[in-house]
Amino acid sequence: MTNPYTILGVSQDADKAEIMKAQMLAMKKKEFALQEIAIAAKQLLDPAKRLAADFMFPAKIKVKRIQPIQSTLAHQEINVNALNENAFNSLK
Amino acid sequence: MEIVIVVIIVAIVGYLIYQSLPNTKFEKAQNLFNVKDYVQAITVLNEIFEKHVDAPAKLAECKLNLGKQASAKPEKVNYFNEVVEIRKRISKSESITKFESIEAKALFEIALIQYEETKGDIDKLNQNIKFIDTVNKKGSESDFSSLKKKHFYDLADIHFKKATDKEKSDKLSEAIQIYNTGKDYAEKSDNNTVKNNSVTRIAICQLKRNDKINLDDFSEIGYSDKSYQKELYYRYAIQLLKNKEYTAAEKVISSNLNFQSADIDKLSEILKAEKNNNAVTKIEEINTLIEQLQKKSLSIEELKAFYDSLDKTINEVKILDIQVSEKISALKPTLFNRLLTQYISAEQFGNAISIIQKYPKFWESPELLKNLGICCYGYTSKGLLTERNYQTVISGWLTSVFSDKVILKSLDDTTWDDNYTFTLVEAIGSNYSQHEETPDNVNYDEISESNISIGATQKELLQQFETIIHKEIQDANLSKLVNDFYDKEKEALENVISVIEKDILFATPHFAKQNGFNNEIIEELDNDYHNYSNEEALEAGVPYIKNSNSTVVYQYFYASDLIDKVKTAINNENSIAIKNLNTKENKQWIEKFDSISELVEDKLFNSISNKISEDDENEKLIPVMEECILFSSQNAKLKHQYSNYVANYCISKVNENEMDNFKALSLMKGAYLRSPNNPKIVKNFITLIRFNLMDILNDRTRKMNEIYTILDWVKKNNMSQTYKQNSNELSTARREIIQQLKKAGADISLFDESSFSSLLSGHSLNSQGLKMKKVLTYLKELGNE
Repeated sequence: MTNPYTILGVSQDADKAEIMKAQMLAMKKKEFALQEIAIAAKQLLDPAKRLAADFMFPAKIKVKRIQPIQSTLAHQEINVNALNENAFNSLK
Repeated sequence: MEIVIVVIIVAIVGYLIYQSLPNTKFEKAQNLFNVKDYVQAITVLNEIFEKHVDAPAKLAECKLNLGKQASAKPEKVNYFNEVVEIRKRISKSESITKFESIEAKALFEIALIQYEETKGDIDKLNQNIKFIDTVNKKGSESDFSSLKKKHFYDLADIHFKKATDKEKSDKLSEAIQIYNTGKDYAEKSDNNTVKNNSVTRIAICQLKRNDKINLDDFSEIGYSDKSYQKELYYRYAIQLLKNKEYTAAEKVISSNLNFQSADIDKLSEILKAEKNNNAVTKIEEINTLIEQLQKKSLSIEELKAFYDSLDKTINEVKILDIQVSEKISALKPTLFNRLLTQYISAEQFGNAISIIQKYPKFWESPELLKNLGICCYGYTSKGLLTERNYQTVISGWLTSVFSDKVILKSLDDTTWDDNYTFTLVEAIGSNYSQHEETPDNVNYDEISESNISIGATQKELLQQFETIIHKEIQDANLSKLVNDFYDKEKEALENVISVIEKDILFATPHFAKQNGFNNEIIEELDNDYHNYSNEEALEAGVPYIKNSNSTVVYQYFYASDLIDKVKTAINNENSIAIKNLNTKENKQWIEKFDSISELVEDKLFNSISNKISEDDENEKLIPVMEECILFSSQNAKLKHQYSNYVANYCISKVNENEMDNFKALSLMKGAYLRSPNNPKIVKNFITLIRFNLMDILNDRTRKMNEIYTILDWVKKNNMSQTYKQNSNELSTARREIIQQLKKAGADISLFDESSFSSLLSGHSLNSQGLKMKKVLTYLKELGNE
């Protein structure tokens, strides 16, 4: 089932007049079947059904604005060759 | 006198001859051997060497013992060699056989002396091994084998020592070769010390040569010298660090080098520096990705990879700088949100569902639960349900829509609703009276044109979803699975909601079990039962059972399941299974719950009725029904059902001559026992009594004794009121027989058990007459005369 907001091409906060105007416009455009347009308009004009259509808009989760990571960690030199390989010579 | 002299001479000659006989001499030698006079014994045995078959072996044994007694080694060797030399003088094969075991003992003594003289000389040890391999070992095999093993043991020690010398002088390849040879000898002689140490030293030599090695396959290392182990693992850790195998190096250090040492500290410092550098690199990468994200140049796949990599990075950075790791952790929700939004707008609902489900305790967030509902709806409407995923998708959808918190969340995001208020009065997702927090425009007032029903919105959503799953799933099997599952999940959820008054998350059974909070729901239902003795709460909890068996809900399920098991047994005509279920303990479980115990009889009755409707002449059903009567504490209906079934079955079979009268009587006894006052049962039972007595009278049965046993049971206090009212059939039969006897001129008094004349008449009945008399007596006693 296509979202009625998409069929009528209206925003989620459209008022009654905008919906009816959009219905007329959609009928002229003929992108959707007349019956689909009629159902979409009926759905958005019925508050309980409109709330059901609104359900399909994803909920926004409150999150912090993403920022680059500030760090004091700096690159360190690694010298494996400086290790004493014979430190544990067991055949002394 | 002359005679005496002759006798004496003969005796002396005889004695001398006797003394010179081989057996006598061997016996003498044996006696000398026994008193350890080996030298004299040898003299005697040499005399009979070829004359007595045991002489060579005994001679060899004397020399062997002399060798053993000797103190100086050369003297010993001489004696033992003399033993070996004896073989050349023996000509008889029987003597050879007896000699060989003594020879083997002498050879062993020689080998032992030679071994003692090897004194760590590899060549001498090898020569003696060859000697042992080639000589006769008859009867001394295990001694030789042990001695040879000692040689190998020594060779292992010598080679290990030699290899360490080579290693010390940096001749590593030679050292490895000699360690290997030593290891081979060690394996042959159970010289575990050398075996384990050789393995470790070989690995050390390889590391010294910079060979790439893998220590996983060598269990011996753990048993080798501790100082060797230290050296090996230290060198190995350095090799791993050089090869940048930091994780493996860290594992080796933490597992095998966990002791205090400045050199080990240096290894740890290198590891720490590496982790630091890795973190620096990771942070740089993260910042690059953040920049790309802000420029919106990251693809969904790149964003997902970025999101997935965060946990590992957080753990890696945590040990270096906890504040930085927290900053990285703080990116997670934002990235998650971006990723989820992108998945939903790209209609990649499967991926969206997947990341939501991995988010910790996502169901506690109304936003995430709402988004899950949207994704489940989208996934279903795109026709993506399969047998593998439909349960997750449907349970996710139902849990989302049934949560009125989710619907309230939806209201937060609308702006067109300024002129309306919304009421939760008929919301379907709760049974509790008030939410703790509701938006200003939400109330619990009556529905009106301006006070919109949230329940109606939920029902609209459910209806839209149901339209999809009813009409748009092409595969008939999948459609059935999906719709059945949807109905079951929805019903279970509605049942729980109707019982629980507390503000908890109501989830479908699958959702609750999948996410591990089914027991919380069961606990609430248990509480409800404890507070109100409400068995509906227990019934509602059954679909939520997964693994806990300590709840009342589980007990209820167990009791209910017992009934299901009996129903299954009825269906399978398995009376034994019902008998096994009929225990005191099981009955107590059933009696604990009224809603179960009250329906036991009806449920069993209906199952049996279904079975009868499939086949109304199925004898196997009779024992099944008998067990059901015993199982159910209320059983009047079951008894009635049983008796009628048995009666109908017997009547049909007897009329069609498919069952003899005795069998019918036996079966009808069961029916009569359970329904003694059912006129139909009683009349048919009495008729069968008559048939069976007539069969006895006319010699048509071999079951005479069995028939009388049943009839005796009836006579013995088992004649019900209805029986007594209907038993004239038997009296009539008796009268008719007597009439016929009279017509035939028989003396009727002879057949009357109580007649005094029959006792005095002096006439006696033949066997047929006696049979007649007994039948008439039973007809009388079982009839109502």
